[in-house]
Amino acid sequence: MSKDLTSAFLSYYSEFQKKEYSLISLERIFGGASRETYKIILNDDSDKKERLILRLSQDSSLIETEQRTEYLAYSAFQKSNVPVPVLIDMSEENTELGAPFMLMRELKGEAASPFTPNIYAPHENELGEQFWSILGEIAKKKIDSDIYEDFNRETERPFWKNELDKWVKIIHEDSIGIEPILEAGIRHLYKYPPNESEIISMVHGDYRSGNFLYAENKITGILDWEMAHLGDPLEDLGWALSPIWSWQDKERPAYLVKREDAISIWEATSNISLNKDDLQWWELFAAIKGMAIWISAGNEFKSGKNIDPINLFSAWIPGDIHLEIILDILERNT
Amino acid sequence: MKPDINIALLNAAQEIINRFSPLIEDEYERSRLGSWGALILISAMKFNDASSSLKKENCDIVKWLKNHTKLRKEELEKFESCEDKNLDQLDQDNQNLREILDKQIQEIQAKEDNVLFREGIYLMRSMHQRRKVSDLIGMLQQQES
Repeated sequence: MSKDLTSAFLSYYSEFQKKEYSLISLERIFGGASRETYKIILNDDSDKKERLILRLSQDSSLIETEQRTEYLAYSAFQKSNVPVPVLIDMSEENTELGAPFMLMRELKGEAASPFTPNIYAPHENELGEQFWSILGEIAKKKIDSDIYEDFNRETERPFWKNELDKWVKIIHEDSIGIEPILEAGIRHLYKYPPNESEIISMVHGDYRSGNFLYAENKITGILDWEMAHLGDPLEDLGWALSPIWSWQDKERPAYLVKREDAISIWEATSNISLNKDDLQWWELFAAIKGMAIWISAGNEFKSGKNIDPINLFSAWIPGDIHLEIILDILERNT
Repeated sequence: MKPDINIALLNAAQEIINRFSPLIEDEYERSRLGSWGALILISAMKFNDASSSLKKENCDIVKWLKNHTKLRKEELEKFESCEDKNLDQLDQDNQNLREILDKQIQEIQAKEDNVLFREGIYLMRSMHQRRKVSDLIGMLQQQES
């Protein structure tokens, strides 16, 4: 691991906490492509251990997002029914650690790969109950007015168009070639828009299997809020239900409980009555948004800006799966 | 006869995954190298068919456009030439054909011609089936376990 980062972090954190620390370990976690994530263990001057997670912006990341967005989203859910890590600090400057960063306490638990079948067995029912009810909690959470206003400044109406325009722009900027399946899906979304939601929620933006921590039968944390924004709560539901996150067992979204049970749990917790046509729109949108992310990854890789194999993997495997999902949805609707 | 390129890639991938990756102590670097092994494995599996698949896809698009659109046949004939084409040339043809196909699909969607749109979906699905690598995900998981 980079000695520069190690010494810069120790110096920054000692100054921040007004204590002396010694480093036990600083390890980068493999996987995420939007941030460099490090697991850090320190001893303070009274020999007490601290376990931290550092999220560092990358020069070249899959989707450009600000540290502030993620920090505010985590802030909105501190001490709520949605388990999130305790925040320590955030900086949008390069001065302390060479890049903008966010620092938080490490939570117990592990994150699974979203592509591994039956990864949550034998606790899939208990975890499923929690996973879908926490999403319901996110949908109904009243957001602190300062945080709300911060997000609201960047949000145009209708929500569906704001989001669709944003991702279609990325697709058309980053595409390496023409993909008729994707273009047909985009045209379908613009032609048959959903109803504008009467409920304005904080949307996680990447709520799915793989983005939560669990310890045996308990979800201990919801992570990766860097794409959070205000919008239609069905956006998160459509994304989380996407068959891509349970590709080898499509009946059980996220490899947890059955689809109809998942929706029932979400409805009961969020107190939102579902419009099935609108949900179907958001499910197709999820595949289009996914394609934007995978195309962006492929572009990063091809241009040499970031040759992390996760970018090639993203362009190849999830990219293929989402195209197939778009075809399936279009076929069902024709 | 020499071993083929795909065999070389296949063996390289096996060595990376099973031999070199486990030797690395740093978890991040080990996972990163393991991912490279898996991606080289996919490349090896797809290498042999890359050219013939592209050629077949281009033929299928031309045939579909001739049968289902009012495009002039001469416009499409340049994509049917018998000359040998390398992968880059086939890929360029493919991009041009995809652009033409997309315009036709756009018109079909605008006219809400569901019968023809279904035909288009059928073609796009066959193109995707031939090209996709996501069906190898199970094999990758076996390699990693």
